Amino acid sequence: MPNIVEQVNHDMDAVIERVWQSLVQIRNGFGAGAGTIWHPDGLIVTNAHVLGAHGLSVILRDGRTLPARVLAADRTHDVAALAVDASGLPTITLGDSRRLEPGQWVTAVGHPWGVTGAATAGIVTGTGVALPEAPGLGREWIATDLHLRPGHSGGPLVDSQGRLVGINTIMAGPNVGLAVPAHIIVQFLQRALGSRAGAAARARAA
Amino acid sequence: MAEVLNEFSRALADAVEAGGRYTVRVEARRRLPASGVIWSPDGVIVTAHHVVEWDNNITVGLPDGRSVAARLVGRDPATDLAVLRADASGLEAAPLADDEGLRVGHLVLSLGRPGRTVQATLGIVSALGQAWRTMGGGQIDRYLQTDTAMYPGFSGGPLVDAAGRVLGINSSALLRGISLTVPVATVRRLVETLLAHGHVPRGHLGVKVQPVRLPSAVATRIGQETGVLLLSVEAGSPAERAGLLLGDTIVALDEQPVRDIDDLMALLSGDRVGSAVPVRVLRGGEVRDLTVTIGDRG
Repeated sequence: MPNIVEQVNHDMDAVIERVWQSLVQIRNGFGAGAGTIWHPDGLIVTNAHVLGAHGLSVILRDGRTLPARVLAADRTHDVAALAVDASGLPTITLGDSRRLEPGQWVTAVGHPWGVTGAATAGIVTGTGVALPEAPGLGREWIATDLHLRPGHSGGPLVDSQGRLVGINTIMAGPNVGLAVPAHIIVQFLQRALGSRAGAAARARAA
Repeated sequence: MAEVLNEFSRALADAVEAGGRYTVRVEARRRLPASGVIWSPDGVIVTAHHVVEWDNNITVGLPDGRSVAARLVGRDPATDLAVLRADASGLEAAPLADDEGLRVGHLVLSLGRPGRTVQATLGIVSALGQAWRTMGGGQIDRYLQTDTAMYPGFSGGPLVDAAGRVLGINSSALLRGISLTVPVATVRRLVETLLAHGHVPRGHLGVKVQPVRLPSAVATRIGQETGVLLLSVEAGSPAERAGLLLGDTIVALDEQPVRDIDDLMALLSGDRVGSAVPVRVLRGGEVRDLTVTIGDRG
């Protein structure tokens, strides 16, 4: 019988393996960020600050590099939707970011300092708009005790079941990693892309 | 999938929820509010000394969302603890953890409530050690260091175990850059003292000292190699009234050897305040015995 730490490690393997499938790299001409496949037909979400002026491309887990175009971007909430010409892409299950509680185990994956697919795990510190140290008055965040780095931006933050609860965005201070909650991304997609994307998002969230 | 991880995650969230039921917000300074712990149902709140700038007009944010007035009962800068009395009753006091079984590597959570909701960081026990004395001379029953992140406003909040019970009060001010916890045994002692006296009596001589090596003849005669040299003697201080002089070397106090500053600090404990005790000094190569009445640094 493996001990509890070995069992946790085993479950982490499954979570990481799953979340890797929908993790992409985003090249913007002068740097790289991460992105998360939202829809099998080539819809990818990331941070607005990952977008460069030109030459956007997406590198999939299977190694394919595809040109990408910006469908919509919201600088206020730092979220963006990209499209690549592909179908049948592996997507990620949506979690309920509104029900996230302090203490819950979360894992962030991305490409910190260019290390592709690197994972870091910790707990939710707090959620909501009342986080004194977070930027953007009244903006909703998931605060974690994760060390997010350049290259994590736009990558998925998942719960203990590997479900997407947020998009890794920035650090606030040396020890607080902030993510945009998944429900903010759903709202953004509904606003920007209309009810079809919203309905798809709601169906998957259910 | 990931059933163990899911259970693990739920257990952590449960521990935070349990700890959150006794973690309060303490508004007692101009900057960001800090945190505190409900120590008794009738409104005794423990927090960190360095986050309490005001003695009155303190507000405590309770876990149920209410804000109540509080006043300072007393503080101890040496252990960075303060006790408040909140204007509330029927509160849920923190269940105390038994730290006998605590080992390096155990998972622990630091909690804070700088805002409306409880916040948490996870880490492990990094180091456990014997009793130690802070820079200010405070006696801490056990060295307890973790790698939990201390966010702004977390000072005064609890370190909690996996069941959400309090292991101690976090302070980011005792040693800079290190997450240290004042253990429950020390907190309990300090709360009793502060409720009884309003402050922690601590012995005071009114001198500045430096450890020095004794001449070998003296060292052989009195059986110790070092003592502490008086670099200054405050006017009107207990030391001056006892006849201690600049340049004297203290080698014993209350018949206990004084080999270094730690020895002296340990002997200047609160229970000696007000008592007249023998002090042995070396002056001009001669051993002299004087009597000093230990003052209270307050």
